Amino acid sequence: MEGQPKSSFLEPLKQVYETKYKLLMFITIGLLIFSLGVLAYQKATTGEFIQKDVSLKGGLMVQLQTDRQFDTEQLAGQISKELGVTANVKSLSALAGQPLGYTIELEKTNSKTALAAIEKITGVPSSTYTVEESSSTLSESFFRSVVKSIVIAFVFMSAMVFLYFKLPFRSFAVILAGFSDLIETIALMQIFGIKLSTGGVAALLMLIGYSVDADILLSARGLKQQHTSTMDAIYSSIKTGLTMQITAVAALAVLYIATPAAMLKQISIILIIGLCVGMLNAWIQNAGLLRIYLDWRKEHGRA
Amino acid sequence: MVELKENPAVKILTSWRVIILILFLLASYVAISPKFGETGLQISDVKYNSSAQINGLPTNVKLQAVNDQLVTSLPEFNDKTSNIKQGDLVRVETNKGTFVFKAGTFENAPDLGFTVKKIPKSNLQQGLDLVGGVRVLLKPEGELTQQQFADVVDITTKRLNVFGLKEINVRQVSDLEGNRFLLVEMAGTTKGEAVNLISQQGKFESKIGNESVFGGPDIKQVSRSSQEGAGIQTCNEAQGSGWLCRFSFPVTISIESAKRHAAITGALDTQLVGNEQYLSKKLDLYLDGELTDSLYISSSLKGLETTTFTIQGSGTGNSKQEAFTDALANMKKLQTILITGSLPVKLDIVKTDVISPALGKEFLRTTIIALIVAVIAVGLILAVRYRRAEIAIPIMLTSLSEILIIFGIAALIKQSIDLAAIAGILATVGTGVDAQLVITDEVLAGGQQAAYNWKEKLKRSFFIIMGSYSTVIAAMIPLLLIGAGLLKGFAIVTIIGATIGVFVTRPAYARIIEVLLSK
Repeated sequence: MEGQPKSSFLEPLKQVYETKYKLLMFITIGLLIFSLGVLAYQKATTGEFIQKDVSLKGGLMVQLQTDRQFDTEQLAGQISKELGVTANVKSLSALAGQPLGYTIELEKTNSKTALAAIEKITGVPSSTYTVEESSSTLSESFFRSVVKSIVIAFVFMSAMVFLYFKLPFRSFAVILAGFSDLIETIALMQIFGIKLSTGGVAALLMLIGYSVDADILLSARGLKQQHTSTMDAIYSSIKTGLTMQITAVAALAVLYIATPAAMLKQISIILIIGLCVGMLNAWIQNAGLLRIYLDWRKEHGRA
Repeated sequence: MVELKENPAVKILTSWRVIILILFLLASYVAISPKFGETGLQISDVKYNSSAQINGLPTNVKLQAVNDQLVTSLPEFNDKTSNIKQGDLVRVETNKGTFVFKAGTFENAPDLGFTVKKIPKSNLQQGLDLVGGVRVLLKPEGELTQQQFADVVDITTKRLNVFGLKEINVRQVSDLEGNRFLLVEMAGTTKGEAVNLISQQGKFESKIGNESVFGGPDIKQVSRSSQEGAGIQTCNEAQGSGWLCRFSFPVTISIESAKRHAAITGALDTQLVGNEQYLSKKLDLYLDGELTDSLYISSSLKGLETTTFTIQGSGTGNSKQEAFTDALANMKKLQTILITGSLPVKLDIVKTDVISPALGKEFLRTTIIALIVAVIAVGLILAVRYRRAEIAIPIMLTSLSEILIIFGIAALIKQSIDLAAIAGILATVGTGVDAQLVITDEVLAGGQQAAYNWKEKLKRSFFIIMGSYSTVIAAMIPLLLIGAGLLKGFAIVTIIGATIGVFVTRPAYARIIEVLLSK
């Protein structure tokens, strides 16, 4: 690989990365444990591992398009007072922050009275609203299948990795990276207050398949030994893999900023978070495990 | 000749992998068949049981002329058809033949029995969340056989059709837990009444005392025009508050029901109400077990075998106008239900989405801009990373071909492009770029292992690519099955895109990059 990082300011970083890799792995292990803690805390305080929006919890979501300006807190207060249920208001903006309207989320309520109340308060005719109403029974069964499908997807993905590498230890490292990506992404969503919606489910499933790409690349290059040294293989993987991750994050960030569609916003932010934690898990955790494995293999004379 | 063979362009274009890609691109273009500058109208919808339908007028054919006058735009169509009256013969010329039928009537206005729309710009269908409309998910109460479910789909489609809605899509969907749902999508409308209409089982019954006179299936014909006596009869200010308007419309019932009516009324006494003589018991109308109206029976009908009945009902509102509109809507709903019959079970609405067309348009516009900017951003990153146009440009072109082929296949299998599908496209293009990076870097990694030949290098990159392909597909399969198919668009597009990427675009890219870099 002609292109080992040449810049001198990277040298100290490289020093640490090459020599203290076992220590660095504590960062990712710590992150995983912390994330599991976040989910446990979430479960203990709210009864659920994941905060869900109305599409997965049941309730009403109203999007209205208007030029009028409202204070979101005040609007939420007015609506809650009128209807006697918790209301959540977010402003909806198009490209470059151009205001487009508002999204109002309401827990279980009668949609007719809710729409009438919103019309009364905002003055925007209810016939122009975009309304999403889900019954709690459907949402509950939907969420159950979401959990099931995430488990199934994860099992499928793991099976594929196993079939692929046929080496238990390497497969395990890739699957662990995939697991960490998923758990840490969900935990960060809880911390940032991102409530999972139907679209987000698609993103989480995508993430299961997508986030291990860098790990597969690393393992494939590390094991095929076309490189002179393990570090060579790792650096060449980092070069390709980081470009992959950065281009994806850049494209998703553009989508996140530009689109007013809640579904696309959620899909992009979940994939961004997942790819970012994926960088840590691939280049610190998985690379560390790869080195430990290759060292062990050398010691046992099976190079 | 030798020189020609050495020409990179020739080398690329004669590679079978590139030829396959080009064939796919051409096929996709045909499948999408974008019609630049195409004007004109097509038949978008033919009303159930209308003269137009009976006389075989098909949908999705190009409309050329109405009554021998050329028609190319909506205003022209409205202008040329405005003087057609009920009962007039209509002659419609299309690119699939000429059809002649009689104009009918709908809501007291002449009705052609068909609707038109502009010919779409391509075969790509836009999803409901981009064009606006109503999506309702309903769950039947209790178990249904496959035949019963098919009936539910059929009756619901007819109801919406008779109700006057177009571009409707009714189908059965199921989820991972084995629950079956009825999914109803109505594009381009935000009408709330329609939602009400679908969830109504529609079991109609009329009784005198405890005895049934006639039910829904006994009704042979329902009159809907004012000429036939259907309409709002009276409007009064109700006691206390608001207004009440009454509607009525005649129906024709079977001979057996008429005989039953004669037998039951023959045994009744008469009584004086106000100045009129009525029978001692009323005719009670029930819809789904709920009493909707009670009508006095004129004494002149006692023991009479009559097949013509008048069904009545009412609507209320805060103003006269509101009550009038409500009564009219209730009448239309009842007529629709009586015409199309009842459903085998009651359906519960479990999810309703009403999407405003204006917001959908805005979503589409901003999302397209976002995608273009995203592609440019990726291009810039690649330009910075490789500093070579012969790498960045093929990568971008390959990604664009992937998008085109995804659209082509979507048009072919009639998968509409909704927001979720757009997200799926972005995701696959993302993974596609990743795979091309893997190929490029493997190819560039020449220096230390000059011994490795091209074949070996490409084999190695495809090992990595197949690995990530299989994990993505594995993760997408459950998504096909959950959520009553609401995320199917994302899953299908992602699977198509990833598959095309692995088997079509990436092999071609590998060949192109091989030629360009092996100089």
